[in-house]
Amino acid sequence: MISIRRFKLQPLHFWIGFLLIVLAAGAVAYGIVLVKGLSVTNLSDVVPWGLWITIDLSAIALSAGAFTLCAVVYLLGLKQYEPVARTATFIGLIGYTMAMLTLLLDIGRPDRFWHALVYWNTHSLLWEVSMCLTLYLCVLALETAPIIGRTDWMQSRFPWIANKMTSIHHFAPILAIFGLGLSMLHQSSLGATYGVLQARPIWYKPGLSVMFMFSAIVGGPALTVLVTKVSGRLTPYAKVDDSLLDRITLFIGWGLVGYIYFRFWDAFSVSYTYEPGRSESLGMLTSGPLAFNFLVGEMLLGAIVPAILLLVPRFRKSWTAQIVALTLIVAGVVAFRWDVNMSGLLIILTYLPQEITAVYTTYFPSVIEIISGLGVIAYGALAITIGVRYLNLIDHPITRMERVEEPVPVAGTD
Amino acid sequence: MAENNGIKRRDFLKFLAVGSVAAGGLRLARWTSASQTGGSSPYKWAMVIDQEKCSGCGQCTLACRAHNDVSPDISWNQVIDAGQVGDKKSFLPRPCMHCEEAPCVNACMVGASYHRADGIVMMDYDKCIGCRYCEVACPYGARAFNWESFDGPNPAVPDWGSPEVERRPRGVVEKCSFCYQRIDRGLTMGLKPGIDEEATPACVVTCPMGARKFGDLNDPESEVSQLINNNPYFRLREDLGTSPRVYYLPPREEVTG
Repeated sequence: MISIRRFKLQPLHFWIGFLLIVLAAGAVAYGIVLVKGLSVTNLSDVVPWGLWITIDLSAIALSAGAFTLCAVVYLLGLKQYEPVARTATFIGLIGYTMAMLTLLLDIGRPDRFWHALVYWNTHSLLWEVSMCLTLYLCVLALETAPIIGRTDWMQSRFPWIANKMTSIHHFAPILAIFGLGLSMLHQSSLGATYGVLQARPIWYKPGLSVMFMFSAIVGGPALTVLVTKVSGRLTPYAKVDDSLLDRITLFIGWGLVGYIYFRFWDAFSVSYTYEPGRSESLGMLTSGPLAFNFLVGEMLLGAIVPAILLLVPRFRKSWTAQIVALTLIVAGVVAFRWDVNMSGLLIILTYLPQEITAVYTTYFPSVIEIISGLGVIAYGALAITIGVRYLNLIDHPITRMERVEEPVPVAGTD
Repeated sequence: MAENNGIKRRDFLKFLAVGSVAAGGLRLARWTSASQTGGSSPYKWAMVIDQEKCSGCGQCTLACRAHNDVSPDISWNQVIDAGQVGDKKSFLPRPCMHCEEAPCVNACMVGASYHRADGIVMMDYDKCIGCRYCEVACPYGARAFNWESFDGPNPAVPDWGSPEVERRPRGVVEKCSFCYQRIDRGLTMGLKPGIDEEATPACVVTCPMGARKFGDLNDPESEVSQLINNNPYFRLREDLGTSPRVYYLPPREEVTG
């Protein structure tokens, strides 16, 4: 970068510049939160979790491509997906660091984050989640080490460390087992974090754990394929084998069908009779303030439309349709997390014995919450961009492509 | 692949060994912590609140603030309007329920919310990381987060006295503690909580209507045991199975019409 070569502005530089601006704004907001505390948010004692928890849950869900694809490659033995698993692992590492950054922001005493690891309450779902997050972050760091070890920069500067890092690759199957176990635990437990609480009736059901897991398995690979496909079009540094990715999108499409089925029963399997709290929360999703997000954002655009785009062969052949579908899936996963969190928190049940009634409340994130949240997202996007550009992150064997290429009709002049 | 097999087995064992040592180390760290659920106690503290007697004056809230140095933004002990019974207004004072099956104790990831052996649901303010999961889990809204730091004098504290417990810092969740400091100090002085004012929660002592009673459920002669045994009572949201230790005697006036 700092060579004497003539510096030419490329679209990449604009993109990185844009991300840096958002990141800088986010960092300022982050600092404000740390200094002034959570009073700068619109959170309250009745809605204690809001935008940040949604970003946190979504980042974790969308990082699920890492464990899914690593399991496919190293446990199911489908070796041809190895290059995709590599990309997914890196995205996973970034996603989990995003989650950590958001969590740090969200807790009232960030200086005590380490308490979660030292003081154990084994009955707490959040304890289990934080242990899994920490351990899985270590697994992801180990899984990503060979990617960094293989870069020219590391090889030429620190060959000994680079070789050590690369040799971790031999442990990939073991790491995949740990990754699968830890991920299945905490992806589900994040749903159970909500699902075990009786205080918010809409949450109190076993289905939430299954739904969080299922949507992560669909959404994680979707983000991985989305990043890969977009990079393949935008930069020569990403070498993409579309036929490999198209098989994954087919899997995602069928996964979505299953997801729609489960989500339907998860959302609507309620009793005919009025149940305080639960009925109001459901009403919020179907006709209240969350209705557009749930019916249009989450169900129609987030699941049904992309399932059609990915499963009807005519659409699946189109690059644009695939990109649209994958983007919608990623947004749908975020919408699902938002709906779960909000449908429970925006209804408060009174506890007066004569009348257990539901009281409505509202929440909209404050400017500081939004900017700091965007900052975390910009960090993620920047890290992935740098990974694609400098870490050889997307490098599918192109021999496969050559097989697909049709012989070009030879023009007369040759 | 042949060379890999040799490395794998040995290194895998190393990996496991390091992992178990690390996990064991974390486990040890937990034993050093002071606050924990468990132990045994001869007492089982409970509160009985008589809705018939409560006039909704709010003295309990004020005394609570003064003794526990509660910020004006927070109330450990709300008096809630409970509608009309007969021709009289009815109120529901709501401290922490000190549930036997407390959702907050199970929810707290660091064990900052914990049961004392005598049943009091305690907060360890030095452990709390402020994740607010307990607030989400509590069906009674009994918990409050310190969104801002509370500096300066507390308007609820009178000139002649000073609060009995340390003020909580910004960023932790706080709640009613049944004035454990008064109970503990009273017991060491040979006093009887519920009978001797020095050893009884501030809200109980201050109530001008005598609507609040405090005592030991393990003692069948205690006032709370007698009240519960001889009167119809209810607890809040018993359907949830939380088994609160705050009992209410409903308003006993006949509803006319």
